[in-house]
Amino acid sequence: MRIITSGGRRAGAVALSAALVIAAAGCGGTDAGGTGGGGGARAVTFLTHWGPEQVAMLKKAATAFQEKNPGVTVTVRAVPFANLLSTLRTQGASPGGPTIASIYDLWLPELVRDGLAAPAPADVAQDLSAGWPANLVEGVTKQGRPRGYPNEVDLYALNYNKKLFAEAGIAAPPKTWDELAATAAKLTKRDGGGGKVTQQGFGVITSWAAGVVHPWLSLVNSNGGALVDGSAPKLDDPKVQAATDLYAKLVKDGVTQPSMSNANANTTGPYLDNFVNGKTGMIIMANWWQSALKEAMGDRFADVGVAPIPVGPDGAASAPVSYSWLTMVNGKADQAKQDAAWKFLTYLNGPDSGQNGSSAMGDILVSMGILPSRTGDLSAHKAELSDPFLSVYVEQLPHARPFPAVLGGEEMSQAVQKHIENVVFGKETAKEAMDAAQREVAGILTKAGA
Amino acid sequence: MTSPSVTTATAGRGPSARWGRDLAAGHRGAAVVFLSPAMAVIVLFVVVPIGLTFWISLHEWSMYTPLTDMAWRGLANYRELLADRDFFTALRNTLVYVVLVVAVTLPLAVALGMLLYFPKSAAKGVARAVLFSTYVVPTVATAIVWGALYAPDYGPFAQMFSAVGLSAPAWLSEPGTALVSLVVFHVWQMIGYYTILVVAGLTQIPPDLYEAARIDGAGFWRQTVSVTLPLLRRTTIFMTLITVINAIQVFDPVYILTQGGPAESTSVVSFSIQREAFQYGMAGQASAMAFSLLIVLLAIGGLFLAAMRRRS
Repeated sequence: MRIITSGGRRAGAVALSAALVIAAAGCGGTDAGGTGGGGGARAVTFLTHWGPEQVAMLKKAATAFQEKNPGVTVTVRAVPFANLLSTLRTQGASPGGPTIASIYDLWLPELVRDGLAAPAPADVAQDLSAGWPANLVEGVTKQGRPRGYPNEVDLYALNYNKKLFAEAGIAAPPKTWDELAATAAKLTKRDGGGGKVTQQGFGVITSWAAGVVHPWLSLVNSNGGALVDGSAPKLDDPKVQAATDLYAKLVKDGVTQPSMSNANANTTGPYLDNFVNGKTGMIIMANWWQSALKEAMGDRFADVGVAPIPVGPDGAASAPVSYSWLTMVNGKADQAKQDAAWKFLTYLNGPDSGQNGSSAMGDILVSMGILPSRTGDLSAHKAELSDPFLSVYVEQLPHARPFPAVLGGEEMSQAVQKHIENVVFGKETAKEAMDAAQREVAGILTKAGA
Repeated sequence: MTSPSVTTATAGRGPSARWGRDLAAGHRGAAVVFLSPAMAVIVLFVVVPIGLTFWISLHEWSMYTPLTDMAWRGLANYRELLADRDFFTALRNTLVYVVLVVAVTLPLAVALGMLLYFPKSAAKGVARAVLFSTYVVPTVATAIVWGALYAPDYGPFAQMFSAVGLSAPAWLSEPGTALVSLVVFHVWQMIGYYTILVVAGLTQIPPDLYEAARIDGAGFWRQTVSVTLPLLRRTTIFMTLITVINAIQVFDPVYILTQGGPAESTSVVSFSIQREAFQYGMAGQASAMAFSLLIVLLAIGGLFLAAMRRRS
């Protein structure tokens, strides 16, 4: 009897993928001088994690570009968000890999170190200086040269359910941590008076690094703390520990329910469902989830209110975390492809590709409820960005602090996530968690050479 | 008259012996020719990747650069692994997962296999097909569906608990229940496959034995204990091996449903390897984990093979 097991199939698949990965990486290197692509055309591949609607818009822009630039073909390839980095790792170094990639800024230092993020040519650098805020250009500049076009900017704010606020007789969103705790207590409902919590006052997120760390760090920043100072972690700073203490208190008081907090690989899950279904009174989230809320809530989206991050006892003002995405050109691609890729990006981010003076990129981002970063796009989409949901994020943008993009940043983020979750689930005290995170992050950053 | 040994010795030097040797050599040559395509595939897709994985485990490599640019680390990745608490957490979770999966799957598969084999019913075929269907559907699809089933409070499972007045567990949302929830999913998905193995094993048991047992007055339980289970031993040992290997390699549901959380409670070795390689860009460290896992799997496989040989 011949039996093929799933383990056998998996082992075969693993072996095959390993061979392909290794072959792809081993063959990596600059194919200098080649034209790339088939039939003499310069074939550019654009790797993104966007959904079907945005991919369709990008394809439309690519078609328009191709009509103006015969000999260049732009192919869009979309992968789920969770697979974007792994796709880049397995295919980025190959000459046949993506020519353009949409990347999270935390990944940039490593991509620059390994030569994957090509430096922008002089005309692109000039374009960036003229059309983007200086701090955002600075964010994509590594080793003295810009490495791509900054695209979306995301930052965090307090989202709350206005209907639940009204039912609890709460007039305004909390401005301080004390008010946050008091408001959360008023919003919390239990079965039969003292039983199981059926409505939590303040929701947190678990099982997703950015979902855990960014809201928590927004509270830390708003208490005058910071995650790192240069490449030195600051997790043992009392201002940082205070935010973790706040989490511990909210959980202890029962106004935050860890069992309502889970996220899955698609960055959806119970944490989102509970807010959408009116089971969570307040949560700290980024502007990009507007489209998910609208889709899930329909008319009830009008119940969602947005407010700045509550300020801690040692903080002076709300200071949410921000992060950005950029489009970079693969430095391992041959020069002709790189040139074509920069040309396409210049078009995609320029005023001629979109509607009413916006770039096509600006149109794509705003269609998802995401803030564009190009100054002209912000003006062109003023009306959409003035809606009650996004306007608070736009107002908070000048006060936002970028998440530190350092070598080892991804591992650092997941180490911090682990210890915050340990506090949320009562496995560590706030002090134990932050002391352990401080040691681990110090080791991670030293090893990564940050 | 020559003794047989002398005959053999003489024949060994004669033309017929040369012909025998030529024939044997010819057979060996033919065997090499016939086996070489399969061996080439095995070498290319199994031996070479394993060798390369070990080679990479001795280096530091982000996967963004060619293999030739890897930095040599020697055994440092293995030393760091021994000091890595997260790796040992993943090992512990994997061990718990494997033990639970084996403990639930084996008796359940044997029971279901007997239920599907012994009764004289035309519906047996349909029942087998239905049971096996969970194994055929891709894990990615079923895991997404189970994510919705496991939703706390408002999910179908939680609603079922509420309907009978019970408080539902938090399933994937609590460290105490998340791993067990993944075990339940694994058992549901794989039970059909193992049940079919049991049915295949039962067909190998001669019906005469049951008849003889019945004549001796043995009832169902006596027949099960004295005939069925002893004669299913080889099948159950094989099933245990396959179950252990499958459980150790669990990845898809962890990746899709929990990402190792909450609070690292579902972080298993295969997920840690993926995270180390593809998220942290430390393919050397990840390869050291993968190679260590391979050694563990080989050791377990060896133990089971030895057990099977001893039994037979």
